[in-house]
Amino acid sequence: MRVVAMILAGGAGTRLTVLSEQRAKPAVPFAGRYRIIDFTLSNTVNSGIYTVGILTQYLPRSLIEHIGIGRPWDLDRSRGGVHILQPYQGRERQFWYRGTADAIYQNLNFIRDQRADTVLILSGDHIYKMDYRPMLQLHKEHNADLTIAVMRVPLEETHRFGILTVDEEGRVLEFTEKPQTPDKGNLANMGIYVFKAQVLEERLNELAETFPDLDFGKHVIPHMVERQDRVYTYPFDGYWVDVGTIASYWQTSMELLEPDSPLDLYNRDWVIHTRSYERPAAKIGPQARVIRSMICNGAVIRGTVERSILSPGVYVSPGAVVRESVVMNNTWIGPGAVLDRVIVDKWVVIGPGAQVGWGEDWDVPNKQQPDKLNTGITVVGKGAHIPPNIRVGRNVLIASGVDEEAFEPFGDTVPSGETVEGVR
Amino acid sequence: MNEMNAVALILAGGASPKLSVLTDVRTEAAIPFGGKYRIIDFVLSNCVNSDIYNVAVLTQYRPRSLNEHIGAGRPWDLDRTTGGIHLLQPYLKRPGEAIRWQKGTADAVRFHLDFLEEQKEDLVLILGGDHVYKMDYRALLQFHVDTRADVTIAVHSVPHYEAYRYGIVVTDEEGQITHFQEKPKRPESTLASMGIYVFNRSFLVDWLSGPGKRQKDFGREVIPALVEAGKRLFAYPFFGYWTDIGTVQAYWEANMGLLGEIPPLNMDDPEWVIHTRSEERPPVLLGENAVIEGSLLCDGAQVEGTVIRSVISPGVRIAPGAVVRDSVVLTDAEIRAGAVLDKVIVDKEAVIGEEARVGMDDEQNAANRELPTVLNTGLTLIGKKARVPAGAVLGRNVVVRPYTSERRFHSKEVPSGSTIGVRP
Repeated sequence: MRVVAMILAGGAGTRLTVLSEQRAKPAVPFAGRYRIIDFTLSNTVNSGIYTVGILTQYLPRSLIEHIGIGRPWDLDRSRGGVHILQPYQGRERQFWYRGTADAIYQNLNFIRDQRADTVLILSGDHIYKMDYRPMLQLHKEHNADLTIAVMRVPLEETHRFGILTVDEEGRVLEFTEKPQTPDKGNLANMGIYVFKAQVLEERLNELAETFPDLDFGKHVIPHMVERQDRVYTYPFDGYWVDVGTIASYWQTSMELLEPDSPLDLYNRDWVIHTRSYERPAAKIGPQARVIRSMICNGAVIRGTVERSILSPGVYVSPGAVVRESVVMNNTWIGPGAVLDRVIVDKWVVIGPGAQVGWGEDWDVPNKQQPDKLNTGITVVGKGAHIPPNIRVGRNVLIASGVDEEAFEPFGDTVPSGETVEGVR
Repeated sequence: MNEMNAVALILAGGASPKLSVLTDVRTEAAIPFGGKYRIIDFVLSNCVNSDIYNVAVLTQYRPRSLNEHIGAGRPWDLDRTTGGIHLLQPYLKRPGEAIRWQKGTADAVRFHLDFLEEQKEDLVLILGGDHVYKMDYRALLQFHVDTRADVTIAVHSVPHYEAYRYGIVVTDEEGQITHFQEKPKRPESTLASMGIYVFNRSFLVDWLSGPGKRQKDFGREVIPALVEAGKRLFAYPFFGYWTDIGTVQAYWEANMGLLGEIPPLNMDDPEWVIHTRSEERPPVLLGENAVIEGSLLCDGAQVEGTVIRSVISPGVRIAPGAVVRDSVVLTDAEIRAGAVLDKVIVDKEAVIGEEARVGMDDEQNAANRELPTVLNTGLTLIGKKARVPAGAVLGRNVVVRPYTSERRFHSKEVPSGSTIGVRP
């Protein structure tokens, strides 16, 4: 079997608000020192697959810099290795990637050049640890044209997934994308596909003319089931999460701090690799108090940190309190500042005495984006400067790069549900 | 000056018996330091940060962990086509030759004179692999060129009562060395040689193969003879932090020195990054009942107990109820529930059993009986992969040799000054 992995990494992740305002969702930092795509990339190399194409489209710069030549994953290779596949302009046709399958369709020549007979299609958006080898093995044993990784989801959530109905061999009888009624079972498509390369090419060629926005869930899988291709499922029962929303990003982060976190990052047999700068050990000062938290190299803590995740280079001044928050690289938290249920992006300055995540009115949703910020989490965008002694409520969104002046209209308190935007 | 104008020779072959269990298993240059570094990282990083990319490391005593750490030199960008890292080990020069070990610093350089003859650089920078400091060698090389010296020695001012441990230089007003005393009982100055020498390459080759061909050591023989012969030797004063990790006490003090709020050696300096080879590890995880004060913690450590004024390396696990005080704990060591450590150096992968007490005061506080002149300051040492049984009580100045199993402890009470186990 010659396997090439194709990682779809073009997602905008708009529900992550400011976290994905300047970077693609796979490049969003997670668990202190990682980015979301590290999980999929590490799964790939830990499964012995060293030929990887990464399909980028939306704000790819930080993703491309992160991946570089693939060194942290041993993907800097003479044969195979990592390839960034961006949308390109051809003589005849010039399109953005208009759908998941269209992105693969536009790169069929890459798959051919790798002389792969098996194509593993992955999403760069998910957090999970999975050995793809048993799935590839099952695909081979079934002589399948397509194998889809599936997991059980609660019946009330089936409307968010593609749901598969299977026979006792695991062969797919029916595929329903986002069913309105919960009568199709609860086997959900995880967006992890193994294709026979030749069949993939044929099917994409058949469909591409008709559906410019060619999508695996909407078009390719239903088509293959209908024409009775050999489509099988591979059941996965491990931890898998799509951190698509601010609420799930925060929740998933907090779960890492549970005594028996389902995502065991400390298992040396399945290392998650990432690119990191060389930073010295984390430093905990004599006045500090830190419990139930994850702290990265290069962080300096002189205040109090509870149930939080701090990335490399975060500085917590004496007297500052960080509670149930996620704070990304090189953010400075001033003396006496208090953060409570806040997600803070990189290079933020929290002025001395500022209180961010203040008040008990958790349920006042964000006025501008009530569907995205409504669980009490306040989000601070990259490089924002929060003035000293200000109070910032719940479900507040502070845009990337705003200066202290942007807070002037609010006086000493930014009420819950507000959005602070700078002059663009 | 051309960036490639000096070749660096790092002397890393010493056995350093004064470092007890730390050098039982590895050469001094490979001893872990500051949590995530090894001592040689400072010199290697100084070289590349000073634009010196042609670096040879001379090894002899237990080089395996040093060789593995350096590898192809990737963390220092020394994996290069031209120059790069050269590991120079002892070898047979003709078939059937009796083993001839190198008997001193100059002897080691002479052994590899063929290497030196082949290099293109005009200058040779000779460095010790066992010093901790940050220094821009470009200024030193420039000084050497400007003074048209044959040899330049970097010097550091030391307290008068410490001068007996060093090579002491006496200079005239221009900095030219008029007199050199190796480890003098009655020092004539307090300017100590740092063991950092710049030679004109052809001058060094000629001297070591000509007039100085029987001289084994730079400090004891070569330098005094050169001064005697009226050569141009200059002293280059260095005012930054510099320490020679020659003893267990110096090692412990240098580690403790990193804990201050503004440490004398700032390792979080983006202008002078200390590079190292590090394994991919998740962030530090601190549990619900963790108490951390004034300490350094490295990625991959998991702490549920109490850590006070200590340096904790990657992957160390400290169980609930355990207390680690004024100690240095190296990679992947395990401190089990209820164990108490006070002024202890725990080498890699050692295990301290439940409720063990290590570094307990007793009436005598006796010096270690095997190394009474060196191990007499109250530090207790646990060697690599040694296992201290549950409930054991170890006094001060105790040495538990590497790989010692629990069966070697014939009694739970180990009085101060004892040594347990055999040298590997």
